[in-house]
Amino acid sequence: MVVGLAIGLAAGLPGCTRSATSAVSPSATASVNPSFARVGYVRMEDLIKKHPLYGQLAHYDETIEALSLRTALGSNGPALPAAELAKEDRALQAALDEARARTTKLLNEKQKEYGKRENDAIAAALRTAGIPMGPGTNAIAGSVNAVAQQQRAQAVSSAQSDFNAYRATLIKQDDAAMQAAQKAATARADRSYRAKADELQAKEQQLAFELATKDSSDRLSLRTRLSNLALEDGAREEARAKLAAIDRAEADQLAAARNRDQQTLANLRASLKAKIASDVALDAKRVHAESVAKLKSRGASIQAQFSGAAAPVVAQALPNGTVSVPAGVSPALKARLEDLHKAYQVQFTADAKRTIADFKKTNDDLTKRFNTIHGVDQNAERDARAHIAELQKQRDDLYRQMVAQIGREVRVVAQNRGVTTVINDTVAPANGVDLTADAQKDIESLHE
Amino acid sequence: MTFMQNTRRFALAAVVLAAIIGAPQTLADGITDIGFVDQQALGAVPAFQNAQKQLALFDRDLQKQLQGRAKSARSQADQQALQREYQTKMLARRNALFGPLFGKAQTAIASIASSKNLSVVVDRRIVIVGGQDITRNVLDLMTGVGDPVPPVSTPAPSAVGFVDQSLINQLPSVVAAEKQLDQYTRDQQKIAQDKLKTAKTDADKQTIARDYQKSLDAKQNDLVKPLVDKTRDVIADVAKKKNLVLVIDRSNLVYGGTDITTDVTQQLK
Repeated sequence: MVVGLAIGLAAGLPGCTRSATSAVSPSATASVNPSFARVGYVRMEDLIKKHPLYGQLAHYDETIEALSLRTALGSNGPALPAAELAKEDRALQAALDEARARTTKLLNEKQKEYGKRENDAIAAALRTAGIPMGPGTNAIAGSVNAVAQQQRAQAVSSAQSDFNAYRATLIKQDDAAMQAAQKAATARADRSYRAKADELQAKEQQLAFELATKDSSDRLSLRTRLSNLALEDGAREEARAKLAAIDRAEADQLAAARNRDQQTLANLRASLKAKIASDVALDAKRVHAESVAKLKSRGASIQAQFSGAAAPVVAQALPNGTVSVPAGVSPALKARLEDLHKAYQVQFTADAKRTIADFKKTNDDLTKRFNTIHGVDQNAERDARAHIAELQKQRDDLYRQMVAQIGREVRVVAQNRGVTTVINDTVAPANGVDLTADAQKDIESLHE
Repeated sequence: MTFMQNTRRFALAAVVLAAIIGAPQTLADGITDIGFVDQQALGAVPAFQNAQKQLALFDRDLQKQLQGRAKSARSQADQQALQREYQTKMLARRNALFGPLFGKAQTAIASIASSKNLSVVVDRRIVIVGGQDITRNVLDLMTGVGDPVPPVSTPAPSAVGFVDQSLINQLPSVVAAEKQLDQYTRDQQKIAQDKLKTAKTDADKQTIARDYQKSLDAKQNDLVKPLVDKTRDVIADVAKKKNLVLVIDRSNLVYGGTDITTDVTQQLK
């Protein structure tokens, strides 16, 4: 906004042109101070608009503005709209919360299961040693075994459900990743094509400008001759023919250049199309392979977890985790019972670690998947910014060329008007000589 | 700090020096006393380049140091405090490194301008024809043995005026328009973003983007153009009353000139 005001002042808005004209009329300047006639100024932005290459400059500005706008508004940003991304994030969080709750439940069940197994083993050891056990022990053991089997089935079902949810999420994320990759590849190809098209167009305009400049003196000379009313018919016809020949030669050269450029662009389009297909196929293969590997690994982990867990269980583990050993057992039996306790503790710890590791893996995989999707978006945005910077550089180079060309024209005008100093960036009209109108005429003649 | 920032500071400092030396009393009849310098060439002097390198190293070290602390800065207030600390330290270092160099350059320009009877020195970028190029002379003084000597006389009265547009931009009417435009831009951006979410084709998206830009352009025209027109008319009026041949922006001025900013802001209030 502040910049806008400053630029507006420097650029010379139409509303202020009237006062500029009145301020710089020869009589006005002469009446104020004769020496003012030696200092002049031009409104460069007005002259730029009359330059033969202004169309190209405006095209750069429009393209840069459009790209900047799309980047700012986010249409070239996230592959998924922000609301959908947020939805995906929430779904992921819910899935992770659920997996965490199931893991906790599974760990509790495992703790009970291993406790029961341990007590069962201890009971069996005591029976073998001929030490009497409480009444109804066998009946209780049978009942507990049935409950344990049921719990195991529930744990398997829960793990399968987790696995299915994981697979569904993975597939969904793969789809999103592929869409994002396709979009990014297409956007990259689009930018490459546009950049080449812009470059060729700039060259065509440059060629047109150079041809017009090269022939301008001949053209002007012929037009001057034609404007002579006393010119004989034969000479007039000859001048017209020469003028037409100059036009034709320029048009032929331009047409040849355009044909070459069209062919170049057609070839580029075909190669970019093939590259998109190749890039997307590679991405698809990689994403698919990663997903299959993850699913296989997850499935194997679940199978390993439950394959050896068919042994019967009996009773709940003691709260303090110690072994309940009846009084009067021999030291050998006591040592045997303690070994049993340690063995089941080790098995439980290992099993629990696997369960926790599986949960962590699920968490890491899904988080990584989302990061990958966001990463694709960031790359696309970075590419867009690089393209804007490249266009801006080309635009600035063109602008400098145009200013230099205008400077040469202004120098001639100033010399003709006896102006010794000319400034190009004034903020408002003053008593100096405004050379803009004269310079405009000269620059416009470059078009002819 | 970029080179352009350096050169801008350089120009600003030169103006301050000109103000210290003394404002012009009357305007001269002769106006061939316009000089110019290539500030980019002055910035390429080894002393400036060395200062630039030292500042870059300082910046790198400071950022590294603050990044470690930024990890433990959890609240927004802590982060803002770190940001302020960074800016303060960079500014102090910048002043320490470039201050003496700017001073030397200002003295060199003033000395050359005085010896050549120039009433104003501007940046080379805005001169198309004529003017006296004093870049070489200034470079010689800056790179020579010993420090340049300040001129005894004040700059000659100049028929070239200047305004400080940054001060004009602080006028309440401009600030209010800026706020309105900012708010409008935010509102329109949100509307456009919502529309883009439901856009199905690229053509739809382009239409939305075009409409968005058009609405901003129209609003800017409504809010800013009247201010621009009025400001330009006032500047032109003041320039005529003071018999100035040209009025440039302060950012393009290096030395001398006639400051009409106060006259302009008073008329605009």
